[in-house]
Amino acid sequence: MASKNGYCGKILKVDLTTGEFETIPTEKYEKWGGGHGIGSAIFFDLCEDKTVAGTDPKNVVTIMTSPLSGTLAPSVSGRCEVQGIGIQAYPTGWYTRSNFGGRFSTQLKFAGWDGIVLTGKSPKKVWLNIVNGDVKLEDATDLWGLNTRETQEEIWASVEPSKKDNDWVSLGVARDAGRTTQHPAVLTTGPNAELFGPMAALMHDAGNGAGQGGFGGVFASKNLKAVSVIGTGGVDIADPNALMEARLWSNDYSFAGHHDDPVEYVGLTSFACTPGKPLASVQEWSEGTQSRPQGCVGCVRNCRGRSDNGVGNESQCVDFFWYDVHDIKANGHVTAATPRAADAVQLAGVNAFAVEAAVLWIEQLYNAGIMGKGKEIHSDLPFDKFGSAEWAEAFIGCIVNQTDIGAELCKGISQAAKAWGRLEMDTASGILPLQEYGLPHHYDARTEVEWGYGSLIGERDINEHDFNWHVYWTPTINGLEGKETAVSAKRLSEIFAKKTVPYNDPMMVDYSDEGIYSEAMAKTVAWHRHYTRFFKQSIGFCDWAWADMVNPYGPDSEGMTPEGEIRFINAVTGKGMTFEEGMEIGRRIWNLDRAIWILQGRHRDVEKFAEYIYTTGAQPGTTTYEAPYTMPVFENNEWSYKSVAGRILDRDKCEEWKTRFFELEGWDPASGWPTRATLEELDLANVAEELEKAGKLGGSV
Amino acid sequence: MVDNDTKDVVGQGISRRQFMTGVGGAGVGMILGGLVVKGFILPDEVVAMAASEGYLLIDTKKCAGCASCMMACSLTHHGETNMSLSRIQITQDPWGKFPDDIDIAVCRQCPYPSCVEACPTGAMHVDTETGVRTVDDTKCIGCERCVAACPFTPSRTLWNSVDQHAQKCDLCMNTPFWDQEGGPDGKRACEEVCPMGAIKFTRELPVQSEAGYEIDLRTGTAWDRLGFGGSPQSGGHLG
Repeated sequence: MASKNGYCGKILKVDLTTGEFETIPTEKYEKWGGGHGIGSAIFFDLCEDKTVAGTDPKNVVTIMTSPLSGTLAPSVSGRCEVQGIGIQAYPTGWYTRSNFGGRFSTQLKFAGWDGIVLTGKSPKKVWLNIVNGDVKLEDATDLWGLNTRETQEEIWASVEPSKKDNDWVSLGVARDAGRTTQHPAVLTTGPNAELFGPMAALMHDAGNGAGQGGFGGVFASKNLKAVSVIGTGGVDIADPNALMEARLWSNDYSFAGHHDDPVEYVGLTSFACTPGKPLASVQEWSEGTQSRPQGCVGCVRNCRGRSDNGVGNESQCVDFFWYDVHDIKANGHVTAATPRAADAVQLAGVNAFAVEAAVLWIEQLYNAGIMGKGKEIHSDLPFDKFGSAEWAEAFIGCIVNQTDIGAELCKGISQAAKAWGRLEMDTASGILPLQEYGLPHHYDARTEVEWGYGSLIGERDINEHDFNWHVYWTPTINGLEGKETAVSAKRLSEIFAKKTVPYNDPMMVDYSDEGIYSEAMAKTVAWHRHYTRFFKQSIGFCDWAWADMVNPYGPDSEGMTPEGEIRFINAVTGKGMTFEEGMEIGRRIWNLDRAIWILQGRHRDVEKFAEYIYTTGAQPGTTTYEAPYTMPVFENNEWSYKSVAGRILDRDKCEEWKTRFFELEGWDPASGWPTRATLEELDLANVAEELEKAGKLGGSV
Repeated sequence: MVDNDTKDVVGQGISRRQFMTGVGGAGVGMILGGLVVKGFILPDEVVAMAASEGYLLIDTKKCAGCASCMMACSLTHHGETNMSLSRIQITQDPWGKFPDDIDIAVCRQCPYPSCVEACPTGAMHVDTETGVRTVDDTKCIGCERCVAACPFTPSRTLWNSVDQHAQKCDLCMNTPFWDQEGGPDGKRACEEVCPMGAIKFTRELPVQSEAGYEIDLRTGTAWDRLGFGGSPQSGGHLG
């Protein structure tokens, strides 16, 4: 075991242009924690021109684990971070990140690597084969046109030709070579992903996808089809007994400790969520389908499933939801079309979030007589079967094969809308739900502003539910059911004030018409950006289980945050870190990312939502969540839950809020650029130098 | 190695051949189900081993494949998380059809343990106090006969390629990196961490079939209302 206190100690650097491998000592970057933090720091050092397109060979892509990957830390161990210049956002493909689960990060650690850095472009089509310390680039010519399952099974057969059934296989001839019963973990693109790059995801096993950013297209632009890894080593734990104790302590906060009598909670939770519980279901099979829960390595929430017909395996959430609403509308209930649609995106390696927004828009265009056979936008897709599996598969097929409307959609949704002359018009009316930077609307910036602001000041749909479960879903579900929430709005504000170290402001969950533009909401967004940059994206705490804010199993309904995260980090690393220190590393990473975006052209003037956010209340059928939208508000000196559905954002007040936020972050409010003082305080003097050289260093706060 | 202090006489009419076959498949295991025995002398005067004082039951249909059990096993025994050193092995086919998408390999503490019989040095032995089949790694010479002798695939006895000795499930009798007492009277790491409640310890020799122990830890529990049995799932966008 070469690893020490959670870290393997080395990162694999692959120069795809020359085919040469180097080792980067992890120690050089360990102060960034792991995952995204280390990935961004390496990107900053190695990507000489950060203004290039994502498909440029100069783009540097990192695939990073964390010290907790491959350990017993619950709902952390299996996550993996990918970052580099993306090709999904429009018109600028921001430096971005995506995250996937499964067992890839675990196997990478077991093989002895903390991460992989990909530079350059291979002169021929290749896949990267990692077997413990042995690394090779293999010919991918025959794999290039295969779907994600075919690719992975071909690679398994290539790496483990002598493996039979589930038997042990030795990864070498020596008796100390190491043995395993596991298949290699493979991260792959779909077929010919360079042809639908902005829509292309990276896939691992049946349902683990890094969807955002178009990293499938970035991989393909480097002539890289896949990365396979299998390892037989281990991860050293600083205090094994403390890790076991922490894991068993956390059982009290989850289904793991309550198998016989899981809590009946009206609403959604994170760590406490019961696997498969119908109310919290993110798996959708038609009635009568038997299934099991299924999870990433080390998970306690186990949010996916596998079914008795093998269709829809390991899919969850948007993998199903991009089509279930259309299935239900056409058929009255969930049919086999929904899991088949899920498989269609998984096998093709297509970003489910992108097609979800696209299909909502396409439905509107078809209903308005704009799209269809012989219409303004001609399409031979079988719209008479909209809602069926046939339509879903034909739709995904047209993107992957660049036929029919897929000939434009393969370039990205904004690009297709522009080609059809509808981009400005449809993002103004809101029938094309692209909320910021051409990225699909997820939760609504008009109502749940921490989601919108975070995405706008950042670079992608944040997809972080730390507030969302408790400020939106739980009060909304209770409202729909005519019930009173178990946790009152006032109590909710108290819990969040305790958890959101170091701000600790009870007004941070005030989503009233005034609260959404307040200083407290600036703190909310800052806390969220800093927390997730470190704890989720750099250490790997899964968004579906952490942060643990409200927890019906916890004392007085309080979850494990901030104690839980730190307890697991310190058991594995022995660093004795405090939560505040973790938040500060998160702030540092956030500022580094901000600097990269600024080099790419970011300025407060481009930080605007799509027009519909300022002009139109949510309309049923145009976005993913319409109404009601019940949230905590503080009005007339009282806390309550209230529907804020239909709200629009005030343009001027948004700008005022941005000023408050920039001042809180120590950024120049005129530009939104970090100042030298802020960067130097974060030990980022080198970043300040690079910004100054580019003439993009913030003046003063 | 036989614990002569605890053997009893049972099993009239069962040949040694039948007994060994039963360990790996259907038949004799069923006959043995429910018996509380400490050891056997078979009709052909072959001495059998003391029975283990406990067994791990695993409901494979309840397993979520998270492999937390594998991590806990290696963590408590070796101080590191390492699937290759885990004495319980979960193997999966991501595209497989439930319930055949997951296989779980855990030592059954066989009534007649082939691994123990195959060992030429007594390293693989039956613990005198608990009946647990386990390894004294100081006596192991690395011949791997125990690994080959295990009638199951993958072998429940595994080769520790780091420390160069055989090892197998000891029901956590020897977990130097965990401050809990293990073994039949203590706690088992895999059972403690399983988030689905899919692993359960029993003192009764379980009934088994070709597929393994016949275990259902779901029916009649809260599991029935969690929606995995083909009941309608809620639709809608929850994420």
